[in-house]
Amino acid sequence: MWETLAQAVINGLLIGGIYALVSIGVTLIFGVVKIVNFAQGEFVMIGMYISFFLSSQFGIDPIVSLVVSMPVLFVAGVLIQHFLIRRVLGPNDMPQIFLTFALSLLLLNLALMLFTANYRTVHTSYSDEVFHLGGLYVPVAKLIAFVVAMGLSGALWTFLHTTDLGKAMRAASQNRDVAMLMGINPNRVFCVALGIALALAGAAGSLLMPFYSAYPLVGQVFTLMAFVAVVLGGLGNVMGALVASLMMGVAESLGIQFVGADSGLIVVFAMLLLTLAFRPTGLGGGKAR
Amino acid sequence: MRVTRNLLWLVPGIAILIALPLVVKSSFAVDIFIRILLFSFIGVAWNLMGGYAKQLSLGHAAYFGLGAYTSTILQIDFGISPWIGMLAGGVAAMLASLPIGWLCFRLRGPYFTIATIATAQALMLIFLKFRDFAWGAEGTTIPNLGSAPLMMQFEGKAAYYYVVLGLLAVGLTITWLIERSWMGYYLVAIGEDEDAAEAIGVNAPRIKRDIYMISAFLTACAGTFYSQYIYFIDPATAFSFNISIEAALVSIVGGIGTLWGPVIGTVLLETTSALLQSWLGGSVGGIQLTVYSLILMAIILWRPTGLIGVATDAYRRLASRRPARA
Repeated sequence: MWETLAQAVINGLLIGGIYALVSIGVTLIFGVVKIVNFAQGEFVMIGMYISFFLSSQFGIDPIVSLVVSMPVLFVAGVLIQHFLIRRVLGPNDMPQIFLTFALSLLLLNLALMLFTANYRTVHTSYSDEVFHLGGLYVPVAKLIAFVVAMGLSGALWTFLHTTDLGKAMRAASQNRDVAMLMGINPNRVFCVALGIALALAGAAGSLLMPFYSAYPLVGQVFTLMAFVAVVLGGLGNVMGALVASLMMGVAESLGIQFVGADSGLIVVFAMLLLTLAFRPTGLGGGKAR
Repeated sequence: MRVTRNLLWLVPGIAILIALPLVVKSSFAVDIFIRILLFSFIGVAWNLMGGYAKQLSLGHAAYFGLGAYTSTILQIDFGISPWIGMLAGGVAAMLASLPIGWLCFRLRGPYFTIATIATAQALMLIFLKFRDFAWGAEGTTIPNLGSAPLMMQFEGKAAYYYVVLGLLAVGLTITWLIERSWMGYYLVAIGEDEDAAEAIGVNAPRIKRDIYMISAFLTACAGTFYSQYIYFIDPATAFSFNISIEAALVSIVGGIGTLWGPVIGTVLLETTSALLQSWLGGSVGGIQLTVYSLILMAIILWRPTGLIGVATDAYRRLASRRPARA
């Protein structure tokens, strides 16, 4: 009993690390640019396909292909902010919601046209490796993904707290108007925020590839997970999103273990609805708007 | 004056719509007309809340599915006519909209949208799980009784066309009445700025709750009609995310918060999709939604008022070019 429980918690924490990369991106964009990116999961999907093709064409290990998927998606993020999102920033929510939503639909269906609905997998030497910890199993591929994900999150935290650009982003997230008065160039900060968020989604895609299949719809579940984590963690709160993602990974894994194989998502939705009912401002408090 | 001019348009329009299935015999074409009317109707229902009050829901599939399931369960398990089932489904959707709205309206803007997606998906998962009373993931076919108008089953597609035309007429009439009532003004005020509306004494939570109930009721009627039309129901079609998407899409493309916007948007999108299908066949997956999303992006970036906005701008330009009469 205790071993099953511990095993479920380990599995949940490991996948929660990947959810964290996606949710940190969503919460960063929300905090800095004040929009919700409905397409975040689709960038995870693109990251997965980049790693898949690099691996199947050139035999590059998915984890190594991080060095391609992250810069590619960073540039994509800068371009999307500069040419699309910049044009709909204003007091009205509607265009912002439906622009990123249209982007999500577009990427998903383009992937369906170009790559078909087939599941693509990459088999690496460590895909089936398991590392024993007492009576518990730790899959090596997931452990690598978790460690790299936490490393990237830590790097982002350091960037936000030590560099001038990072401080400018945090300032813009706390009070945009005052930040602009202090001479922070909004479009530059927004471009970097989008770039970083998409690069994190791309990294999540590459890290997933050794143990997860790529298919056009794969992003949707990550988008939903990220939204729940961002609400749970408090909107715009990077640390909150990280903690909430790990919690959700564990909750999903416990749901699968003790309720049934297909009830992971039900547990996540239940968490979202309970949060909305009792703590609509997130678990740590704060402002929901 | 205005009313008579509108009637001048309306009467021949209605006459053409009624004559259409008598003239067009191709069942492929009538099927497209039915789809256009059905999605116009869903769009009209969505537009009441999403368009006028700007509460952008992407979870209307929840009510579509509830309507479809309520009438189908009543018909198969209790032998009750889908005509009554349609009303029952509408009431079920209205009741469901109360707790769902209570939860989702705690959030605003994009997070409201996300919460509505989550509730619709949660309902789909529930219907997938409970196979004892709703057939689980396999769904069920609806017994074909031949020509049974009292059970909402007809031979030939023309009768279905008139049913959904009637539904659309009801939806448009309700929108027209609300647009002209105090409620319409309150809705627009909430859509413009909810805090300001509340500050001048609009009871925003009550108005939003009421319009959500009306919107849910109408969407559920569409669900009943659809399951009767295709003689089949399962969670994946009844709670399909695509229903939620199209409801919002047709309104935005046509002109959000306008009476005819959803209808015009549906005509454009469904015609595009029918043309694409006849050119490319069903071979290329994803092409329809790719084109839809490009149209949606173009509208948002260049004409946020939708096709109705394009038309009024063009009309104004024409009118101003005409030499002024002295």
